[in-house]
Amino acid sequence: MAGVLGRAAGVLAAPVAWAAALVDRPMRAWQNATGTNGMAAVFLAPNMLIFGVFVLFPLVINIAYSMTGGTALFLPDRTFVGAAQYERLLSCADYTDPKTCEEDQFWIAVRNTGVFVVFQVALMTVVAVVTALILNREIRGRSFWRAVFFFPVLLSPVVVGLIWRWILQRDGLLNAALFQLGFTPHVWLTDRFWAFAAAIGVSIWAHVGFYALIVLAGLQAIPKDLYEAAEMDGTKPGRVFWRITLPLLMPNLLVVIVLALIRAVQIFDEVFVLTGGGPGTSTMFLTQYIYEVGFASLLKNPGLASAASILMGGVLVVLTLVQLAVARRNEAKGKRQ
Amino acid sequence: MGQITLSGISKNFGAVQVLEGIDLDIRKGELVVFVGPSGCGKSTLLRLIAGLDKPTGGTIAIDGRDVTPVPAADRGLAMVFQSYALYPHMSVRQNMAFGLENAHLPRPEIDARIAEASRMLEIAKLLDRRPGQLSGGQRQRVAIGRAIVRNPTAFLLDEPLSNLDAELRVSMRAELAALHQRLGTTMVYVTHDQVEAMTLADRIVVLRAGRIEQVDTPLALFNAPANVFVAGFIGAPNMNFIQGVVRGPVEGGVAVTAFDGRVVPVDAAAGALAPGDAVTLGVRPHHLRRVGPDEGLPVTVHLVEALGAETVVHGRTAEGQRILAVLAGQEPLASGDVIALAFERRQTHAFDKDGLRVAGN
Repeated sequence: MAGVLGRAAGVLAAPVAWAAALVDRPMRAWQNATGTNGMAAVFLAPNMLIFGVFVLFPLVINIAYSMTGGTALFLPDRTFVGAAQYERLLSCADYTDPKTCEEDQFWIAVRNTGVFVVFQVALMTVVAVVTALILNREIRGRSFWRAVFFFPVLLSPVVVGLIWRWILQRDGLLNAALFQLGFTPHVWLTDRFWAFAAAIGVSIWAHVGFYALIVLAGLQAIPKDLYEAAEMDGTKPGRVFWRITLPLLMPNLLVVIVLALIRAVQIFDEVFVLTGGGPGTSTMFLTQYIYEVGFASLLKNPGLASAASILMGGVLVVLTLVQLAVARRNEAKGKRQ
Repeated sequence: MGQITLSGISKNFGAVQVLEGIDLDIRKGELVVFVGPSGCGKSTLLRLIAGLDKPTGGTIAIDGRDVTPVPAADRGLAMVFQSYALYPHMSVRQNMAFGLENAHLPRPEIDARIAEASRMLEIAKLLDRRPGQLSGGQRQRVAIGRAIVRNPTAFLLDEPLSNLDAELRVSMRAELAALHQRLGTTMVYVTHDQVEAMTLADRIVVLRAGRIEQVDTPLALFNAPANVFVAGFIGAPNMNFIQGVVRGPVEGGVAVTAFDGRVVPVDAAAGALAPGDAVTLGVRPHHLRRVGPDEGLPVTVHLVEALGAETVVHGRTAEGQRILAVLAGQEPLASGDVIALAFERRQTHAFDKDGLRVAGN
């Protein structure tokens, strides 16, 4: 048996050894010529190449597009307009009223996204904490419930959107149930308020499992002794939560909030499938605006879409920097304790 | 105040019985130490007194009041945890104030109590620091301070020194003893370290497998252990145990055949042992002394630990019985040497086949 395995390993190792022998001479020559730093460049090259082709190059192209005008898709066919697209996006008589803006759809999308981010992130955090608190208790079938809450995270956003459209549409499951129970059915997805609420609710449903998991990890890291000390100190349950659990959960909550923020700014797929941005523009968010302007509308305007995406990218960079700062602060705190 | 009475306490975790039939009366102002090997139930017993766990059976009374159904917070006890369990996000001052704020004490009263306790424990300079910025010994003091400010009827201490290094442990031990004397409050102390138990306790409760083996003062436990377990557990290094058979009565006791036919006289109550009974003799290593070649039991030396003030000798008798002796001073011995050891009759313990003490003083 060992002999067979040994022979198999030998066969498998042969091409590796052959390749190693092949690159040995040029690698050595390179190292002699450039030293250790030169070797580092060689090993980094494949990754940098992939990053360059799939991230850096599109980013540069995107910036280039954002400074061109017209409807042509091919970059050399487009005319250079400088910052005109940005000026068009940002030109507003009154920033609180999208109607006074030259590109009112953009500002509607910005306002919708802003409202969505505030409510979705706040609610998401609360729901994640409550879910984690429940899942952290000694309940029957705890592993099962943890899996149940995490399951939607595994679904494709399009599937999430379809499931909920199926539930909320005019002749959907919810209305059927309401009708059976004797209530008047409601057209949820064509009601401005309920469509927006559904966008928030569905996106929370789809992602809360992930954030609850982060909070749960934080809860489990709090030593049991502290709760017993609090019990000996005569602390009421509410006070235990506010004075012990919540402060000790803060590092995890910050991670949850920042990640949820970044994701909420990018919201698109599930809501697009659910409401298509409607009714009207009431659930149209920034990513959808960019998609519509650049690809879906009759008069495609890649320049304007690129400029909007660069602006949105700027916001995301700021949020990511905040996230990194938070992570670093947590790490430093962890080391101190 | 601070009398704690346990009657018929038992505790099961599922099918596992951790404590059984515990009856104990802890007197007011006493420092009682629960000691025993890992898993003997000592910490569980402390948690039952604290109210952190509920007993399966039996009652707990504090100052005559049955507190079995009373929650931990309302028992008037304070606990010092092995891990200290300080709130990491609060300053030392906030840690100490937390329990008092829960009890809605007026601010000046809280401040006064913290000032008094921090002066007593010499932690006044640390009040605005967080636990993460303190050394192990300082955290220990804060944990004790947090207990003191609550003015409890009794302190419960769960292996409070086990996370400290050896040197600090010795000094904290002395401070705890001084603190107990000063406060005069009942203390229940859990440890697996019998030296800690011997030095601190007014009385020691020796536990094994969920039962109390013996309750007595440290010296009484050392001098008159109730059974083989207590004899082996109390005292370091461990007592030597030698199997023997009762041969017949002698004046004030019996003669026991042990060590390959040697006859050893031991003190025993009349009628406690009959000829032919199997018996276990116990002799502490410190009670063995070196004598001339033909005057004692020949022992072959296997290992010598020279500690300076005393010499610990690991050896075996001709029949293979392990013997541990602690000889005073410095003995020039080497592995392979044969020495003769002797022991006094009055320092020889005897235990019957059930392990109960039947003889010795």
